[in-house]
Amino acid sequence: MGEAAVEAAVLRRAALRMAGTVLVAFIIIAPLSSLVIWSFTHKWFWPHPFPQEMGLFYWKKVLEGDLLRALQSGFLIAVVVTALTLVLTVPLAYLLARYPVPLKAVILMIFLLPHAFPQLPVFVNATTLLYRVNLAARVPGVMLIHMVGALVYAVWTMTAVFKSIPESLEEAAMNLGASRLKTFFTVALPLATPGLIASTLLVFLYSLDEFTGTLLVGSPFILTLPVYMYRTSVGYELQVASIAALILMLPGLLLLVLLERYMKAEYLSMFGRL
Amino acid sequence: MRASSRLLSLAIAAPPLAIVVWLFFLPFLSSAHLSFLRDGAWSLGNYALVWRLYRFDVLYTLWISVVSLVLVLGIAIFLCGYLRIVGHRAVEFLFKVPLFVPFVVVGHGMRVLLAPRGTLNSALAQVGLVDLGDPPSIAFTWLGIVVSLVWKNLALAVLLVLGAYRAVDEAYLEAARNFGASVYRQIKDILLPMAAPSLVVASAFMFTSMLASFSIPLMIGGGEQPQMLMVDVYYRINYQNDLGTANALGMVSYLLAMGVAGYYLRTITVKEF
Repeated sequence: MGEAAVEAAVLRRAALRMAGTVLVAFIIIAPLSSLVIWSFTHKWFWPHPFPQEMGLFYWKKVLEGDLLRALQSGFLIAVVVTALTLVLTVPLAYLLARYPVPLKAVILMIFLLPHAFPQLPVFVNATTLLYRVNLAARVPGVMLIHMVGALVYAVWTMTAVFKSIPESLEEAAMNLGASRLKTFFTVALPLATPGLIASTLLVFLYSLDEFTGTLLVGSPFILTLPVYMYRTSVGYELQVASIAALILMLPGLLLLVLLERYMKAEYLSMFGRL
Repeated sequence: MRASSRLLSLAIAAPPLAIVVWLFFLPFLSSAHLSFLRDGAWSLGNYALVWRLYRFDVLYTLWISVVSLVLVLGIAIFLCGYLRIVGHRAVEFLFKVPLFVPFVVVGHGMRVLLAPRGTLNSALAQVGLVDLGDPPSIAFTWLGIVVSLVWKNLALAVLLVLGAYRAVDEAYLEAARNFGASVYRQIKDILLPMAAPSLVVASAFMFTSMLASFSIPLMIGGGEQPQMLMVDVYYRINYQNDLGTANALGMVSYLLAMGVAGYYLRTITVKEF
């Protein structure tokens, strides 16, 4: 091949890569950018290709109304759910990762079930159970139903995190006379911290975005952002729904930027691999 | 294990287990129980009704899930192969975005994008590809649901498949390259067969989650039948207040999921843990 031909081939490849990037960016961004356009739209009469009037009108209106309330209660629920899940799961995950717990496979299967089976019909019956103890349509009931899914996420990811730490380091500490408890707090836990942060953020995000359980258990009194967004979207309040969608998406995108540093693919890819 | 540490591990495992058993396992069983009750008596009436009213919805749900899964896998297998062998950081990052976009946001975003008066038609009309007098609709059809499910699941698929591909030893690929294998051949003959077990797990999970998808078909599916199963269950409860039939529909969805789960369990070995 002549030099010119090589150069042409290199150029063609670079152009193809560029085109690929643009295409992928379009596919990924298109549904999200529509939300941005709609959120700033004040007036848009069909069949005009662009909004006739744009501005912050709906943003101002929305931030004075129900949206803030939904955001607040959703955040509160997510924070409590995450904290409780963390407290319940960290010791269990360590136990499952390190010790020959009896019936380990059964325990792991139970913690897989809510992820492997359709949730909606189950949650319908769970709502009935929660009504019986007067927890449905109340914040604690919604927290509990979130915890079902959150625990499943947490047990699997956190077990994977603890398994990714070399056991020999803990053995060394114990050989030097440290107790099991001390070994856990001074060796295992610090080493696991980045992974634990990643899975904690995932649990938080799960609770913040949970829709099915909140809709069934929380209705009609508990409003979180996903439920609020759903109602406004099917009610054709497109601007309000788009603003809610953007706010709802924000924590996830922030997390994605953080996860680039914290997250290793193996935490997630362990999921369900008994 | 000593008795005291057995007791300790029981104390640690009991509270989270109790929550999952109480709010998932028991409701699951009561779902099965209620599906056989009609007006307080044991009967198969609910299932007869499901057969009469919803058999096409079952097929519709399966159809959408299969098409979406095939598309997701097809794209992920080759895209990840390219990302593994050649590499493309920007594209890799872009494909992670949908993982962090909630389902309801996907539903709403696609609704706004793909509706007859949506942003896509509006943009295409600018270059003369769409007649705005008679705009085509992708939203509110099965295709809208497929597009949304593919968009959302592709991120997870890319993450899982790429993880599996990365675990394949570079030496195999290098050997293949020395014999002049193209990128396509390296994917087809080396990466794909070696990553097959992980792919089966990923497919089983994605298939059941597509089967059970609720918010996306609720927001972007058509208002009339056929509907996806979970939407049927929801309507059956909300508008007809008919727990029996709703649970029978639920049982059908569990059975479909169980078929997939069985296949998945056979592929996965328990010895790793």
